[in-house]
Amino acid sequence: MSAEKLLAGDAMQLQVFWRLRFGRMLAGAAGGFALGMAGFVYQTVFRNPLASPDIIGVSSGASAGAAAGILFLSGAAAVTGASFAGALAAMILSLALAGLDRSGRSGTIVLAGVAVHSLAQTALMCLKLTADPERELASIEYWIMGSLNGVSLQAAVGNLAVCALCVLLLFFLHRQILLLSAEEGEARMLGVPVTWMRLGVLLLATLAVSCVVSLTGLISFVGLLAPHIARLLTRNNQKGTMLLSGLAGGVLLLAADLLARTVAATELPVSIFTSLLGAPYLVWLLVGRRRRA
Amino acid sequence: MNGLSVQGLIAGYGGEPVIRDLSFELPRGRILGILGANGSGKTTLLKSMCGILPHQGVCLLDGTDLSRMPPRKAALLCSYVPQRSGITIDLPVLEVVLMGFNPRLGLLEIPNAAMRAQAQEALARVGLGGRENDSFHSLSEGLKQLCILARTLVSEGSLLLLDEPESALDLRHRHKLLEQVRRWVRQRNGTAVLSLHDPGLALNHCDRLLLLKNGGCHGMLCPGETPPEEMEALLAGIYGAVSLRRCTDRTGRQQWVMLKEWEDEE
Repeated sequence: MSAEKLLAGDAMQLQVFWRLRFGRMLAGAAGGFALGMAGFVYQTVFRNPLASPDIIGVSSGASAGAAAGILFLSGAAAVTGASFAGALAAMILSLALAGLDRSGRSGTIVLAGVAVHSLAQTALMCLKLTADPERELASIEYWIMGSLNGVSLQAAVGNLAVCALCVLLLFFLHRQILLLSAEEGEARMLGVPVTWMRLGVLLLATLAVSCVVSLTGLISFVGLLAPHIARLLTRNNQKGTMLLSGLAGGVLLLAADLLARTVAATELPVSIFTSLLGAPYLVWLLVGRRRRA
Repeated sequence: MNGLSVQGLIAGYGGEPVIRDLSFELPRGRILGILGANGSGKTTLLKSMCGILPHQGVCLLDGTDLSRMPPRKAALLCSYVPQRSGITIDLPVLEVVLMGFNPRLGLLEIPNAAMRAQAQEALARVGLGGRENDSFHSLSEGLKQLCILARTLVSEGSLLLLDEPESALDLRHRHKLLEQVRRWVRQRNGTAVLSLHDPGLALNHCDRLLLLKNGGCHGMLCPGETPPEEMEALLAGIYGAVSLRRCTDRTGRQQWVMLKEWEDEE
């Protein structure tokens, strides 16, 4: 595609843009935005700068669901549906397991997430073992590496609508999310029903992530990286920073997708580029923390 | 009764009781200081009183059990200041104080201009005027304690629970903090319960002192009413041999001074 021809109103270019690129770009921008916002929520609620949306096993659940979809169903929409169901099941299982501990500690949700992640990984391995190495196994691996290739507006519209609703609610709940960054007793004595509020906020953030990963496959580091970029710019955690986390996530994912489409002759998985940016940043963050300590 | 009534309180961690069957009462308009050695149960007592820690027994405020209330209602009646605030993210000082208005706000509501002005006034009262936009994390531990005190001062409840609020403050700010607490209690005809490490501060600013030992009540004393010899004996049960004297400062005000007596190491 050429930008000049597109702006000049070339019919063929316009058709390619609306049919192939627009849905992909929208999914990239909105998906990145949701991952960035969810990352901000997870890091604040878990009081951990290294927390990211897959901490409660959602990504693994989505992977297992997608693998089951590739093996037992047919068509991209069915795979998207299956991965969404997997992500949702992982989220519900994590939150239900965490609910067994009446103390409502945030560490319990992390532990429940680790257990669900392991369970989903086991299911994924079993599914891979039964997959045909030529076609199905390759499809599963490609899905796990994440890509915006093949995301159409028609397929994405439902997921993006749910995602937008969750993001909007999270934005309005910003003050409650900040209150959850205090210790549990302190937050309770500030009038926050800690257990329910934490579950509600995580449910919304995880639902948004599930909507994205079921469309695109796994996308690493965007949820971790975007809030840090926003905080570097604003040096606080106010509403503007939450919004900026979403914008940074959208820009990151669009940039990674652009590279994925243009760097090599064939399209590469988008997670390669998000990881290329994310991993060095993570090291820099750890080194910086050690120096400050 | 009007005020605070703690009855048969038992609380602890992992099934091990730290507070053992504690009961006391405090009428409105009074400040209760809790003194005790490290590990005597001061923090456990405060946490169980406001319902953060599971416990047996009741803590009644004007006849209502605080721990049976939903968090929002409990926070409207009672404010709690932990030893150290657990806020881990970077926030401006003003935002931290505005958190104190949460019990009065709807789920999605944000603090209004009057609340912002009230928060700024509270910051000025504790000596943090002009630092509204500073990062909470850039403050020293002492200034953080003052910021959390400002957050507490904007609350409209009738009970203040403060856990060693003076531990990181210098001498001047310690007295200023206690003066602010007294002013709050007087203005609202409320009650305040503070755990303190400084017996001198407790003796001169609190109306009553609860002496905690091994999770139980070692004694209750009222500075100025309890005979000095009895106070000395009770305090010695916690700190070892002490000498208690009444001194007059240069303004003519009488103050208690407690000296720890030297003990042979053998």
